Amino acid sequence: MFMKHTQIDPSLVSAILKAAEDAARRIPPAFPLEATVAVNPFLGQTGEDLATASARLQRVAGVQATPASDAFASALETGGITDADLEAALSASASLRKPRDLAALKAVAAGPTPLEARMLPSVADLAARATGTDWPSIIEKTIGVWAAGQFDRGQALWSPTPGSEAFASWRAWATHDLTPEIAGLTGFCAHVAAAPDTSERAIARASEALGLDACSAETTFHRLYMDLGGWSQHARWLLWQAELAGGTDRTLADLLAIRLIWEEALLAHVPSIADTWAETVTAHGEPVAASEQDVAFAILQEASERAHQRRLIAALDGETTSHARPKLQAAFCIDVRSEVFRRALESVDSKIETIGFAGFFGLPLAHMSHGSDVSEAHLPVLLNPTVHTTSHADPEHEQETRVAARTIRAWGRFRQAAVSSFAFVEAAGPFYAGKLIKDALGHGKTSKKTSPAPQVIGGLDAKAKADTAAAVLGAMSLTKGHGEMVLLLGHGGQVTNNPHESAYHCGACGGYTGEVSARLLALLLNDPETRAGLDERGIPIPDDTLFIAGLHDTTTDEITIYDDGLPADRGDDIAQMKNWLRQAGKIARAERAPDLPGAMPTTVSDRALNWAEIRPEWGLAGCAAFIAAPRAATERKDLEGRAFLHSYDWKADEDFRTLELIITAPVVVASWISLQYYGSSVMPDVFGGGNKLIHNVVGGIGVIEGNSGRLRPGLPWQSVHDGEKLMHDPLRLSVMIEAPREAITEVLKHHTEVRKLFDNGWLHLFTLKNGKVDARYGPGLVWADITETAAA
Amino acid sequence: MLFSISFLAPCVLIVVALIAWQRPGCRPEGLPQLAETAALVALGLAVFGLVQFVVGGPARFSLLEGPAALVFEANAITLTLALLVAFIGWVVIRYSRSYLDGEPQEGRFHALMLATLAAVLLFVQSGSLATLMTSTVLVGLGLKRLLLFYGNRPEARRAAMKFSLVWHGADAILLIASALLVVSYGTGDIANIAAAATGGNLSWGGSIAVALIVLAAALKTAALPLHGWLTEVMEAPTPVSALLHAGIINSGGVLLIALSGLVQLSPGAMAALVMIGGLTALFGAAVMLTQSAVKTSLAWSTVSQMGFLLLQCGLGLWALALLHIVAHSLYKAHAFLSSGGAVQAVASLRRPGPIAVPSVGAVLKSFALALVLYAVIAVGFTALLGPKTAQAVALGAILIFGVAYLVAQGLADLAPAELTTRTALASLGTAIAYFAFQATAQVIWGPALPAAPTPGPLEWALIVLAVLSFGLVAFAQALFPLWAHHPSTAGLRVHLANGFYLNALLDRAIGGFRSAKTN
Repeated sequence: MFMKHTQIDPSLVSAILKAAEDAARRIPPAFPLEATVAVNPFLGQTGEDLATASARLQRVAGVQATPASDAFASALETGGITDADLEAALSASASLRKPRDLAALKAVAAGPTPLEARMLPSVADLAARATGTDWPSIIEKTIGVWAAGQFDRGQALWSPTPGSEAFASWRAWATHDLTPEIAGLTGFCAHVAAAPDTSERAIARASEALGLDACSAETTFHRLYMDLGGWSQHARWLLWQAELAGGTDRTLADLLAIRLIWEEALLAHVPSIADTWAETVTAHGEPVAASEQDVAFAILQEASERAHQRRLIAALDGETTSHARPKLQAAFCIDVRSEVFRRALESVDSKIETIGFAGFFGLPLAHMSHGSDVSEAHLPVLLNPTVHTTSHADPEHEQETRVAARTIRAWGRFRQAAVSSFAFVEAAGPFYAGKLIKDALGHGKTSKKTSPAPQVIGGLDAKAKADTAAAVLGAMSLTKGHGEMVLLLGHGGQVTNNPHESAYHCGACGGYTGEVSARLLALLLNDPETRAGLDERGIPIPDDTLFIAGLHDTTTDEITIYDDGLPADRGDDIAQMKNWLRQAGKIARAERAPDLPGAMPTTVSDRALNWAEIRPEWGLAGCAAFIAAPRAATERKDLEGRAFLHSYDWKADEDFRTLELIITAPVVVASWISLQYYGSSVMPDVFGGGNKLIHNVVGGIGVIEGNSGRLRPGLPWQSVHDGEKLMHDPLRLSVMIEAPREAITEVLKHHTEVRKLFDNGWLHLFTLKNGKVDARYGPGLVWADITETAAA
Repeated sequence: MLFSISFLAPCVLIVVALIAWQRPGCRPEGLPQLAETAALVALGLAVFGLVQFVVGGPARFSLLEGPAALVFEANAITLTLALLVAFIGWVVIRYSRSYLDGEPQEGRFHALMLATLAAVLLFVQSGSLATLMTSTVLVGLGLKRLLLFYGNRPEARRAAMKFSLVWHGADAILLIASALLVVSYGTGDIANIAAAATGGNLSWGGSIAVALIVLAAALKTAALPLHGWLTEVMEAPTPVSALLHAGIINSGGVLLIALSGLVQLSPGAMAALVMIGGLTALFGAAVMLTQSAVKTSLAWSTVSQMGFLLLQCGLGLWALALLHIVAHSLYKAHAFLSSGGAVQAVASLRRPGPIAVPSVGAVLKSFALALVLYAVIAVGFTALLGPKTAQAVALGAILIFGVAYLVAQGLADLAPAELTTRTALASLGTAIAYFAFQATAQVIWGPALPAAPTPGPLEWALIVLAVLSFGLVAFAQALFPLWAHHPSTAGLRVHLANGFYLNALLDRAIGGFRSAKTN
C-alpha cells in the first residue's frame, strides 16, 4: 500500500532473519571483566568437528582453528608426538578427506601453514581496496566509540541515556556523527536517518541491497559479527543473561543491523565493487566444508592430544591404599591450580586428606557484599542463583562503610568533572608523589579488612538447612569418613592493577573469589540444627568434626582462615593446621617458581603486590585433563597442575545422580576453560585478549588495544605466553571418570548437548577402573578398551 | 660559576642507554635492573644538585661559545623540573622493569626510554636556545621511536606520524624564533636575552619571535585545534604514556616559563595564551566527560590541563604555572600507571547505592558557600602574605568554582548528613591545600620569575571572560545529572565525544584515513 521500498519476498525475509539468528548463536558470550569467566569460543560450533569449525573460521575470521604446522613439526622432532600417536589419530578419523597414509600426514606437519587469509571480504574491505580509504578501520573506530558509551558501566560521567536500545541509540548517534562524512562517505547521516526504524527491517532491507539469499546470508552475517569482535560477544552475553532469567535481548540483532547499514552505504558509495561483491556472496553461498588441509591439521591436533593421554595413562598406575581417619580433610576447588597445593599439603603429614569439588560448593548464591547494594551471582554461569545472601554488618557499621565509599565516589566525580578537575590537580596533585613512591615499591595496597560473615537473607529453617547440607555433602561424595577438621577452601588470585583480575578468581563462583561460598557452607555445617537434620537423613557427622572456611590465594599460595566463631578449645588443632598450610604453601611456591619469569620461591608472593606485574601467576594455563575419581586414584602422582580433580565415588552414587551432575556441570565448565585457553593461544587475534602492555580499559567491561575501537575478550597474550614460549599447550580436555561405562552412556543419552562435545571431539572421554584408565569413548556411544600396548 | 652535579644526570642515563642498545632483545640479563639503577642515580644527582643550590646558589655550565653555545642552568626552576622529571623517570623505569619483561624488544625499549628521559633532563636544564632546540628535537626523535614500539600496528604508525608532524613542526617554528632572537639580541643565552629585553620594548624581530614561541608552545602542549596527536598515543606501552603525559607534554610550559621575561613583554602573546589556553581547557574537559576508555579519557584530561597551564602563563602567573606542571605530572603519571585498576574502580562505583543528585537550589547554595569559603581563606592568606594580584584572585575564583561541585554533592537532598560533613571537610581541605601550595610556589619560584603584569583594559576583559566562562561551565557541570540525558543534548554529546571532529579533519588533511601500507 504505502510501502515505498521494493516489496521483499516475505519468505526470503524470514529466511534472512533465521540466518541472522543462526549467525548470532555462533558467537560466544564474553562476560564483563568485573566478574569474568572462561567461555568456550567454539560454543556456537559444538555441532561440528574441529576441522569444519576451522574451515568456518577461516571464511568468517581469517584464522585457522588449529596450531601452526611448526608446532607439530617440532613436537614430532623432539618425540613429544610419536608415529604411533599419529597413526592412532589418523585411523580414528572418519573423514573421507584425510591423508592417505602416515607419510602424507607428516608432510602436512613439515609443510607451511597457509599464510594467505582465506577470509571472504566484507564490502568495507572491497571498498578500501577500491578507494584506498581504510573503511574497515573507520567502521571499527566509529562503532567502537559509540559502543563504548552505550555499554559503559560508569567510566564516563556523560553516558548515553540509560536503558535505550542499541539500534535506536546508534541511529541517534550516527545521524549526528560527522566522522564518516569527513572520511568521505558523503550522505551517511542521511542514509542512517532514512534507514528503517527496527533492526529486523534494517537487516531485511540491507540484505536485499547486498543481494543476499537464504544460503549466503549466514556466513555473511557471521563474518560481520566477527568484524565487530568483542562487541558482538558482549551483546551475546546480554542475551545469555536475559535467557537465563527467562527473557530475551535484541542487542545482537541491533549490532548486525548497524554493521549492515554500513555495508549497504559503502556498496552504494563504491558501485565499482558490485561484481566482486556478487562473487563474494556466491562464495558465502557454498556450504562450509573442511578441506583436506583442515582435516589433516585436525588429525595432527588429535595426535598431540593422544600423546598427552599416553603420558597420563602411564602416570595413572593404580590406586594408593587408604589410611585411617584424617585429622584434616581439606576440600579444594577442582581448579587445576589446587592440584599443586593439594599434593604439597598431603606431603606435609600423613594425617591430611584432600578433596576436590567445584569451588562454589554447590551453593547457588546471589550475594551482596559489605557496603554494597549490588547482588552478585557467585555460581557457575550456567545456573540461576536461588539463595540470596549478604555480608552486611550492623546498621551503624554498614552506614559508616557506605558513607566512606560515597565520599570516595564524590571525590572521584570531583576529580573527573570539567572545571573541578583543575582544582583537584592543584590541590591534590603534589600528594601523588607519595602515592607514586608507595605503589612503585609495592606498598600501595591497603590491607583489606575481613568483611562480616555471610548470612542467608531471611535465614533458613531447620529443614532447609539440612536439605541443603545433605545435597552438598552428597555431591561432594563426603557422606562418611569425616575428619576431625574439614577445611573448606575457596580460592582467588590476589593481583594489583590488573584489568583481568577476575579471570584469576574462581570460575565456579562466577569470577568472584570463593570466600563467601566457603564461609557460608562452613557456618551451615557447624550449625547444630543442620547436624541434627543430617543425622535423620542418614549422614551422621561426628561431634568432634569442625568445619572451617578459608581462602586459597593462588598468587601467593597463602591461606586465609576465617574465624567465624571457631571454638576456643580447638585452638591447638587450628594452630597445627595453619602450620601445615604454611609448610604446604612453601612447597607449592617452590614448585611454581621456575615457571614464573624472574621469580624465586621467596619472591613469588611479591607478584601479588607489584602494580607493573603482567604475569602474577599462570591461572589455569596448561590445563589438559579432568579426572573424577576418588583421590586414591591420583594421590602422590605429579599431575603438574594440569588436571581438574573432582572427588567422586561411584559406589556411593546409587542412582548416578552425582555422575549426571558432574558430566553436565563441572565437565562442561572445565571444557569452556580448556577451550578458552585453546582459543586464546591458537587464535590470539580473534579469541585472545591482546597485548596487556597497551590495554585500555573501556567502560569498566573490557579492554581495547591502544587507540583501536575493538573490544578484546579472551585471555591476554601474556596470560598464555611467557615471552619465549607458550605456557599453555593447546589441547582439548581429556575427561576421565571412574564409573561404569554403561552409567556414563546413560547420562550422555539424556544430554544431547553434552554428548555433542564428546562426539565432535571437543572433549575426550575415558573411564577409569581401580585408578587405571580402562576405556576410551568414541562417537556414537561406543567404548574401546585401553590395552596395555595402546597405553605404552 | 659553580657546576651543578645535576648536569650529570643525563650522562648516566645515556651511558646505560648505549649499553641497552647493544642488547635489544628479550630478557637481556641484568639490564632492566641496571636501567632502574641508572634512573635512581639520575634522581640522586638531581637531589644533590638541589642541595648544592640551597647551599651555594645557582650554577651554570657552558659548552662552546657564541650563539650556538650549549648552556645549562641550575636554579630554583630548572632544578625543580629536573627533580620532577628524574623522579617520574625512576618510577616509570622501575615499572618497565616488570612490565616489559619478556617483550621481544625489551632491551631496545629500555635504551629508548633512558635516552628520551636523558633528553628531557637536558631540556629542562637548558640555559640557551641552542640547548633547548637540540634537546627538544632529541625528545621528539626518542618519543617517536617509542610510539612505534609496536610499529606493525597501523594505529601506532598513524599516531607516530601525527606526533612527529606536530612536534617537529613546532621545532621548526622554534628554530625560526631562535634565529630571530639571536639576530635581535646577539646572543642565544636565555638569561642574557631576558636581561636585554627587560624594561625595553620588543623589537620587530622579538615580537615575531615571541608569537612563534607561543605557537610552538601551543603545539607542544596539544592545544586546540592540533591536539589530535595526544589523544591517540596510547599505542605504546603504558610507561611511555606516563612519561609523555608527566614529563614530555610539559615542554611547551617549560619553554614559556624559561622565556617568561620575554613573552610577558608582548600583551598580544599573553592574550593569545589566555584565549587558546582557556578554550582548550574547557573544550578538553568537556570532551573528557564523554570518554569511556580510561586512557583516552586521561589523554583528554591532559589536553585540558595543559590548556589551563597556558591560561596561567597568559595571566602572568608563572609560579602557579610551574606548580601546575609539578602537580599535574605527579597525578597524571600515577593515573596512567594505575589505569589497570579501572575495572574494579567502576565496579565499586555502583556498590554503595545510587548517587544523590543535587538540585538547582543546592547548587546555588554550594556556590555561595564556596565563595564565602574563598573570601575567608583569601583574606587569611592576604593577611599573612600580602595582597594578591587581580590575576591570582581570578584564578582562585575559577578553582573555587570547582570546589563548589564537591560541596554541591554533599548538599543533595538525599545525601546523608555524614556524607555532607565529609564532603564539606574535603572541600575545606582542598581549598586550604591549594592556597597553601600556591603560597609556597610563590615563595620558592616567585623571585626568579616576572610578576604578573598590571592589568589594562584588554587584560581585564580577558580575566572577566575567563571567570565567567569557567563559572558557567562549573555551574552546568554541578547540575549535570539534571540535563545530561535530555534528548536535546544527545547531539551535543555525540559531537563532544568526537572532539568536534577536529581530529577527523586533521586526519583527512594528512591522509590519516588512508589504508596502511602493507609491509
